[in-house]
Order: sequence, then structure tokens, then C-alpha cells
Amino acid sequence: MPLDKSVLNFYFIAMLFIKRGNLFQLLESLSGDYRVFVPSRKGDSIAFTTFGESEEDYVIGEFRSFEPLKAFYFLGREKVAVDFSPENPRNDKPPCIVGVKSCDLKGLKILDFVFMDEEFGDPTYIKTRTGGLIISADCTKVVETCFCTAMGVNPWPDTEYDINLSETDEGFVVEIGSDKGQKVIDDHTELFQESNKDQIHSKELNRESVKRHIEKNVQKKNIPPVERLKRIVRKNYESDVWSEEAAACVECGACNVICPTCHCFFLYDQRSESSLARYRVWDSCMIKDFARVAGGENPRNRLWMRFRNRFEKKFDYFPVVADEIACTGCGRCIAACPGKIDIRQVLEKLNTPR
Amino acid sequence: MNNPYRSIEAEVLKITTETPSIKTFLLKPKEELTFKPGQFMEFSVPGLGEAPFTPSSDSEIKETMEITIVKVGKVTDEIHKLKPGDTVGLRGPLGKGYHMTRFIGQEVFVIGGGVGLAPIRTLMYDLFHMRDKLVKLVYRGGCRNPEELIFRKELEGWMKRDDIDMILTVDEGDDTWNGPVGLVTSIMDGIDMNYSRVKAVVCGPPIMMKFVTFKLKELGVKDRNIYLSMEKNMSCGFGKCGHCRIGPYYCCTDGPVFTYDMIRDFPGIWD
Repeated sequence: MPLDKSVLNFYFIAMLFIKRGNLFQLLESLSGDYRVFVPSRKGDSIAFTTFGESEEDYVIGEFRSFEPLKAFYFLGREKVAVDFSPENPRNDKPPCIVGVKSCDLKGLKILDFVFMDEEFGDPTYIKTRTGGLIISADCTKVVETCFCTAMGVNPWPDTEYDINLSETDEGFVVEIGSDKGQKVIDDHTELFQESNKDQIHSKELNRESVKRHIEKNVQKKNIPPVERLKRIVRKNYESDVWSEEAAACVECGACNVICPTCHCFFLYDQRSESSLARYRVWDSCMIKDFARVAGGENPRNRLWMRFRNRFEKKFDYFPVVADEIACTGCGRCIAACPGKIDIRQVLEKLNTPR
Repeated sequence: MNNPYRSIEAEVLKITTETPSIKTFLLKPKEELTFKPGQFMEFSVPGLGEAPFTPSSDSEIKETMEITIVKVGKVTDEIHKLKPGDTVGLRGPLGKGYHMTRFIGQEVFVIGGGVGLAPIRTLMYDLFHMRDKLVKLVYRGGCRNPEELIFRKELEGWMKRDDIDMILTVDEGDDTWNGPVGLVTSIMDGIDMNYSRVKAVVCGPPIMMKFVTFKLKELGVKDRNIYLSMEKNMSCGFGKCGHCRIGPYYCCTDGPVFTYDMIRDFPGIWD
């Protein structure tokens, strides 16, 4: 039975429910205004695919995607200026990203801080971020690398989303997080229904059990409490931990690419016959020349200094300038590192007196 | 919306060869572009790349801008190949520059070295414009040898002025040189100033800034009164690309001019 519109006035109290089939109808409809991306199963991992492009095994719940959310707002290589024109060269439809997990939403707080300032805001970031839609989802599974709770993040979204989905049997309990999210629901009331007690109970049970599971991971890895992180990074500035842990690093930069808060880039100019183009390309602070100046001086010419710098940036710099730790506990860097460097182990070592 | 990545088109009007490796480019931006002393510009050769430089001309001249550039790498090699009439890109002004009002009623001690004399020239024009508001103006400059002394004629002209106490030195002299020979730190003693209140401005190669800073401290100048023009790898110039971080600061947005007390505790500041 379609939803009675009057229920919407109480949407924070009376929660909504959408059946799995109806969700895909909703996404079909949203495809008119948005480029819709949905996580799909790819072997053992989950990666975003464009909705409706091919037959995919869509995964709304479960755990975080292989790629970080930043890849939609701040492309790996993106044209940011053409010739001497002030026009923003990007003019595609905004993204609607489905199944976004809480760790990635925390990452957006850092990226918003970096890219959305008033004077020098990044036009393409601001455009995709403010124009886009986020339909997030609770985690329903935990992988070994998950440690979000250690960074003060819950495995379910509580901010930064337009609509949130909590997967239960046959569908999803729906929460509305913004006016934009409400408008989407207003425009598609026929696809929603009121949620019942059992569905809400099942959502709460899942949240508790996933959180418990991650907390157990965190305990096993002895990750220091979040409020100690800045202190231990500062205190151990000259510690041997950095060189010991950096020893396995091959400077591939995978940890930077995969990180939802790493934002560094370089600008690259290109000339074709008809025009000039300036590109913004992801960069990696682990690579030797990252901070080198043209005259040859390099403040971080040793690998362990660059390794330390990465931790400083996440656990000291951002807490000071933005009041946010720039680690979300997504664990992607652990999974991506060919040297098997584990950020949890580094933090544990920093917290262990020598 | 403003696009901070785009450059403004500018024409190269004139190129002056200062030394075998240093040229000054007189540029005419096609849109209004003003700057304050200490601020920097990203200068690009269309399609070939950008690099950050501090202008060397008088900031009160609005229609044109001079930038003095030493050839040290890929982008500056391309810049040195430019000819009058060529088109280039300018992005800026970026950074904070000097708070000129802090010099009012003060004794100002300017120390420049090598190609650092270029941005210092912009500052000096402003200091001369406000000279009647300064208690004292002292300038000590140095470079490796007389051949590498940029703006030599102009600097020698300033030395004749009676509103400035100015001495230049070279590490190694030749027959054209009548001045002192030695590092710039060797001509910083014995100046009649109240060092504990002096505002000192330092611009030059990192190694020179390091030893000048230590010398200033030895003379009794306060860390918070030592203004350093830091050189870091600045790519975007507006606090996003992450390359130029010094502790909690970005060199581009929080600097490039820092007082020594702001940055003294962070490693690698002189590298």
C-alpha cells in the first residue's frame, strides 16, 4: 500500500521503509537527474558501478567499497582549467552515490574542510558535492581491517547523508538526513511505506552487533584511544618507530590513493593544438620528490620522514586546523599496502613505552 | 564562481638579462592584477607548467609587473626561453605578504641574499614610499660575486640616499668591486639600532636565511621580529595541494612570510 503523505510530517518519528525492488525503481527514476553509482560485488571486494549499465550483483549494505568516496568528488585526474577561461570545464550531471558507508562520510568532513573554503574553493568539488545526492547505508558486515570505532566513528551514518538505508529482510529502513533527501522521498512517496516495529528492531540489532564486532577487532589490535593519538604522534617525533615501520614501504603511494581523506595533488599543464589544459592529479606524500623544491632542497628526503609526515598530517595537523582526525578507520590502507604496513600496529607501537 | 586554477593571460613586454642565470621579465596582464610585497604569483608558460615567484617590481605600479627568475629547473628553463611578445599565464596574488603596518614607527633591518634581492626590491619600494613613518631603515645585501649582483646600478643608487644605511657585500670580489668582501653575516654588526625592538626582514637562499637568523638572534633581535620569506614546494598556492606544509601551516596561505617564532620548532624549515 502506498504511503499516506501525512506520515511524512513525522518522518523523524515514524520511520519509513523501502522494499529492495522499489529502491531500484527509485534509482531508475533518479538516473534522470543524477549519475547513479551503486556498489557491486567484485570477487571478495565491493566496488562502485554505474547503475543500470550492466547486470550487477548490487550490494547496498555489507562493508565499505574498494575505492574511497573522494573518487567521485575529486577525480584522480581532472581538467580544472582550459586556456585562460574562468569557466569550470566540468559540466556533467551530479553524482548520486548509493550504499555509502559511515567511514567515507567522515572522510568527506576533511575534504569539505580542504576544498570548500570561501576564497579559493575548488569549483568542481563544490559543484559535485553540493549538487550530488548521498544515499548511505549501515554496515551489515565487518572485515578484518575495519576499525572505525577506534576513530570515534560508528558503523552507521549519523550525519552528512541525504537518505540512509538500514538493510533488513526484503528491504531497508529509511532515514532522512537533509531537505534534499526529503524532497526525493516527497517526489516518490508511492515507493515508500511506514516501517514496522520488527524492521526497526532488526536495524537496531544489526547496528549493535556490527559495532560489537568492530570493537572486538579494535581491542585485539590494541589501538590507542582516539584522544591519545595526537599526543603519541607528537611525543614520538624522534622515535625509531618511524624508520622501523617505514622499512617495508616501497613508495607506491597506494595508501594515499585509497585513503578517503588524502587530498594532496599536483597541477599539470598540457598543450594540444587548439587549447591549453590544466589538470589536477592525485599526488602521494610518500614519494621522494613530494616536498622537494626546484633548487633541490627537500625537507623530507628520507623515507621515514615522509612516513612520519603522513601520520602527522592525519593525527596532528587536521586535529589542530580542522578539529577532526583525518583517519576514518576504513582500513583500506592496510588492505592496499604491498609491504603489509598496518596503521593499527604503528599506532599501537607509538603508544607502547620503549 | 571564481576558478582559482585558471591563469590570467599576460604578455611579455621586455626581458632583462641580469646575470647568466637570472632574467627579469616585464609582464603586462590582460586583466587587473595587483599584489602586496611578499605575496607571490604562479607564473606559467602555456601548456608547459607553473612555478611560484615573488614579483620584483613596485607594487604601486598597477599595469605591469616584473618578476625576476633564476634558472634552476624544468619550468624556469622554459621561462628563460621566452621572448618579448610571448604569452604567459599568471595566477595570483597568493599568500599573505608582509604586514607593512607593523613597520610603522620601527627600526627596519632588511637583509637580502642572492636572488632574494628580487622580492626584497618590491619591499624596499614600499618601505621608501612610507619612509617618513619609519624610525630607521637599514639594508644589508650580499651575493656570491659582483657578476651575480642583480639590480646593481639601482642598488648602488640607493646606497647614495641619506634616508637609508645600506651596505652590500660579495663572497668573492673582482676589479669592479670596492665594497666589503665576505658573507652577509659579516656586515651585520655595529649598527646603531635598538636590536631588541628591531623588525628584521630576511630573504635569500635557505642556508643564508638560516645563518642570518642565528646572527640576528645573537644580536638580540626577538624571534617574533624576524620575518622570513620561506621557500617551499608550492603547487596550487591556496592551501589545497598539500605540498608546502610546515607544522600546522601551509607556506602558501599562512606565509610565505613567517616570523621565526611561528616556525622555529618545526623540522626541515631550512631544507
